[in-house]
Amino acid sequence: MWRLWRADAVRALEDPKVVSSLPRYVGILKGKFLPRFVISRHVPAEWGPESSEEELWIIHNAALMKMDALTRDLDSGIIHPDELGNPPEKSLLHLKARIGECIMRSCRLCERRCGTDRLKGELGFCRVGTEFRVHSCFDHLGEEPEVVPSFTVCGF
Amino acid sequence: MRILKSGRISLGCNFACIHCQNWEISQQFADGTVCGEREIAALVDEARRRGCRNQNWVGGDPIPHIPFWLRVLLWEKEKTPVFFNTNGFYSTEASSLLRGIVDIYKIDFKYGSDTCAEKISGVRGYWKVITRNLDRAKQHGELLIRVLLLPGHLECCLRPIVSFISDELGPETRVNLMDQYTPHWRADELPELRRRLKPDEWERAIRIALESGLKNIIT
Repeated sequence: MWRLWRADAVRALEDPKVVSSLPRYVGILKGKFLPRFVISRHVPAEWGPESSEEELWIIHNAALMKMDALTRDLDSGIIHPDELGNPPEKSLLHLKARIGECIMRSCRLCERRCGTDRLKGELGFCRVGTEFRVHSCFDHLGEEPEVVPSFTVCGF
Repeated sequence: MRILKSGRISLGCNFACIHCQNWEISQQFADGTVCGEREIAALVDEARRRGCRNQNWVGGDPIPHIPFWLRVLLWEKEKTPVFFNTNGFYSTEASSLLRGIVDIYKIDFKYGSDTCAEKISGVRGYWKVITRNLDRAKQHGELLIRVLLLPGHLECCLRPIVSFISDELGPETRVNLMDQYTPHWRADELPELRRRLKPDEWERAIRIALESGLKNIIT
């Protein structure tokens, strides 16, 4: 149905201005590349239950370097996605999720850096707590042609 | 949506734009629905299977929701690119968490001066943060910039914005120039924000953007 409303979106992935500025995104949609988060699940990361946030960041940054190399190899075709095998039990993505939890203890996600302890139930400027409150989810047709239809989740 | 005592709206956002267009979003979900990460992951997967091109993380602003989204991604089965739809006012820590996750950084470049940013959106030190994050977004993924033109802010805001994009990020950067500003919420508190953009301002805006050297403008 969206093809009727947004004929420009149908052609967008062939538009030279889209392809030149968002080549990897277009490649993902054409099955040529993997989204980054999928690759991050294939980068192993090990940490212990006692690891401090500082230690987690060190492990994270080392894993990111490995991910950059893996992404390069996948994108250039040196490694085929089928060769990735099963993802490890603990990956860079799991580590990111773990650090995300830690940060909520003294929230520094936005540049206000208000330091709110969201895990204790405190609310900072944005008043987002520990639950994912969703206002709406819908197929957005009003974005840039290469973006639509876009599955939009409005959290608040 | 909750209207706080201060008269500020809270939609899970780190900005407090006086022209916020989301203040009138339907009241029926006033408190939102609390969603589990597996549930959202299943919805994203279904959406991809029916042809949606990406998962669009929006708020308010998605910045405070990053921890939830990281957990959602752990459950997703389809290969759905991540479109991070943000005002760009996030910390270096958030930037590190987003690196290796986000495919397209869609950043609103709103102001060309800290004074305008503070006056209209209630944030301090805007320019340094937004330009740092734009630089990083370009290094860590692909970049799409939106510029909502505000009436009376072409010289103070649009001009430095397009110069920065063209000079620092490159003239090929994809920029969506948007003329649909409409006064919402408390916009009448600032005289210049009480009206829509005039046709001659729109033409001037396009001229300013082209003069800066930008070559990939969506109008």
